Amino acid sequence: MTRRRFWSLRPASTGEATDAILANLLLHWFPARMRLTSIAWTPSFWLGTVTWVLFVLLLLSGLPLMVFYVPSTREAYQSIKDIEHVVSFGWWIRAAHRIAAHLMVIVVSLHLVRVFLTGAYKNAGQREQHREWNWVIGVAMLVGTLLLSFTGYLLPWDQLAFWAVTVSMNIVSSTLLVGPAIRDALIGGREIGQTALMRFYLLHIVVVPIAMAVLFAYHMWRVRKDGGLARGDAPQDAAEVVVAIPAVARRVTVVALLTWLVVTVLALVIPSPLEEAANALVTPNPAKAPWYFLWLQEIVADTTVRIGSVAVNGAFIGGVVLPMALLVLLTLWPWLDRSPAATVGATLPRERRTQVLVFIAIAAIVIVLTGVGLLRGPSWQFYWPWQPWANVPTRF
Amino acid sequence: MARVTLNAGEPGRRDVALLAVLAVLLVGATAWLVYREAVPEYRDHQRQFGNLVQRRLGDAAATAVPAGIQQLWVPGAGRADRCPSCHLATAWRGFERGDEPLRTHPAGMLRAHPTNRFGCTLCHGGQGWAVDRERAHGHVPYWPEPLADASMAASLLPGAGRASLMALNCNACHRYETATAGAEIINRGKRLVDEKGCRACHRINGRGGLIGPDLSWAGDKNPEQYDYGRLSGRRSVFTWHEAHFQDPRALVAETVMPSFHLPPDDIKALALLVMSWRRVGVDASLLGDLPRTDSPSPQERALAAEMERGPGAWFVKTGCYQCHPVSVFGVKSPTPIGPDLSTAMDDVERRFSVPVDTFVKNPSGTMKAVFARQFMLSPAQKDEAVRELRAAYAEFQRQQAVMPAAPARAK
Repeated sequence: MTRRRFWSLRPASTGEATDAILANLLLHWFPARMRLTSIAWTPSFWLGTVTWVLFVLLLLSGLPLMVFYVPSTREAYQSIKDIEHVVSFGWWIRAAHRIAAHLMVIVVSLHLVRVFLTGAYKNAGQREQHREWNWVIGVAMLVGTLLLSFTGYLLPWDQLAFWAVTVSMNIVSSTLLVGPAIRDALIGGREIGQTALMRFYLLHIVVVPIAMAVLFAYHMWRVRKDGGLARGDAPQDAAEVVVAIPAVARRVTVVALLTWLVVTVLALVIPSPLEEAANALVTPNPAKAPWYFLWLQEIVADTTVRIGSVAVNGAFIGGVVLPMALLVLLTLWPWLDRSPAATVGATLPRERRTQVLVFIAIAAIVIVLTGVGLLRGPSWQFYWPWQPWANVPTRF
Repeated sequence: MARVTLNAGEPGRRDVALLAVLAVLLVGATAWLVYREAVPEYRDHQRQFGNLVQRRLGDAAATAVPAGIQQLWVPGAGRADRCPSCHLATAWRGFERGDEPLRTHPAGMLRAHPTNRFGCTLCHGGQGWAVDRERAHGHVPYWPEPLADASMAASLLPGAGRASLMALNCNACHRYETATAGAEIINRGKRLVDEKGCRACHRINGRGGLIGPDLSWAGDKNPEQYDYGRLSGRRSVFTWHEAHFQDPRALVAETVMPSFHLPPDDIKALALLVMSWRRVGVDASLLGDLPRTDSPSPQERALAAEMERGPGAWFVKTGCYQCHPVSVFGVKSPTPIGPDLSTAMDDVERRFSVPVDTFVKNPSGTMKAVFARQFMLSPAQKDEAVRELRAAYAEFQRQQAVMPAAPARAK
């Protein structure tokens, strides 16, 4: 009998009925027993679980925000002012939502780095594994996380939001042939206005979260099917195994509480910015993309040059070619990496040394460029943190 | 393979301790959060005011002191002003000598501008949405309308006081009035606009010339939209206007705007006036019987009509009289910033070393900008202009012959 891909509501046999239960993620989040290596603090640092907790916190804090937020260009800004100033705990809920969103981008990236460094996308067991597909799902969820954060960026409808999205949309529309079409579909026109706000809002609260939840469920199910944390295959030793409940449940709770604590405290001490109401006629100087796209904006700025009569289209290079190339490479890497399965879990094994060093170098460049982008001031000039920006003009 | 443990020691035991510590910390953080939410600034003021009212006016009066966030919703201006959450005594009598925020508002102004219709920030500035002092007063980044308070007035208008700064907000609605009670500095600016003939070049409130930019909504121009390249010192819209009124060419190289050599107080008055020409999005219902347009006075209109019937009609109809009088034809200019055209035949030759017809065809200096931007005359009209100027000069010579002592030569 061939196995069903999805469980059936009308199981044809007892076996199929059992399968339906076994394939249920909620009933089988944890296996009955787990290896100690799978629940050790290192090398996973529980980054995937932290990401999941952040996602849940974002859903929880997003619900009350949805009650008070009005997705209209006339009222969005004022509704955020209300949330910030008079809604009970509104300032904290908004701050927690914002902090958790930023942390999710950071943690999900670290999760990807960890998985790459330990070669955890490789299949190394005797049982049937498809860790390479879980890697692909993971990359998709990284993109989903960025999309979630980016669509949320526009919602406050202040200058920061409006111009960050404008900058990003300009970059998107410089994609060859399809660029303008993608932009038009995303913002419902040529300029950021009510249609853009509505589309971003729906993407933010409905489409992307649901897609993420589905991908996440499959991601977790795949992890279980592939035998937990990736490792070089070793015989099962009873001494290395613990009963999942309470040992794993307790550890998940520790991670969840720690994440919650960090978000709570950061939201208490870091107020959420809200700039002037969006104004299409006034470009702030500098106008920056969201911080996780700053390395791209930096590349765009640095590659937009004119050599004689030839103008280099920086937006196309930095905004499209480079990130797409990296994304494709990242997605296909499990099939391109021919190193032996035995290297899974090893630190800087000889067979993977070159790829790991190149990966670290690219990551370092992205981090440095992001830092440079953060430090850019008026007219895209570089300022050290201790240097005040040159005379930002005011009304009085 | 070596045995791996959760941590040193019994697996899980340390996790339980960790769980306990985290739980305690989380309870602590939550308590901190609840505390921050539970003790807003306005609560102190409300308690203080309650005690004050109780002492002075008795228990019964004290029950009327409100609690919680107080909001004035101003539908006519789309504003929610939460200032009364702290400024509780505004409408109470007997606290005229109190300290802010527990001080009675001057009654006269409130009668004309009741808070239930006008709110607070429309006149005072500040961020009405906020309920803590710093952000509500709006001296924070990204709030373009800070509270017009004494310290801000002291730095911008030394010696002038808070009311002068607030006059800027008054004029957003009172812009079409020639003078507004209590807004002296703005009234002074308006007088200067008439005296100096700003309308000769600038359209203001929909009336005036096209040589300079339209200033009707100049107050809406954002700080980022000014060119500070030649301004030394602090960069703000106010300092830009100050420097510009002092010496326009020092800031804008290509400008044809002359320097009027104004004293500092006049410059500040004009800077405030220009900044007051903003769109505030106020419903017509709030404007009452304030004038809605800025039209020439009946006297000005009567004079123009009379002059149009006289021998200098061409100069009036064409618009030359906006800046130039033609005294020999009895044409007076509302803003006589240009020379009397009665003697233009002489003047032009003396000042530009070219005959009038050449100058009219190919002018230089200010007239170049005037002919390029405001009075775009056809060649036939230019011929007519020369004929009219000749006629004026002939009349001038005739009058000279009759009354040799008459002082006709103008500026």
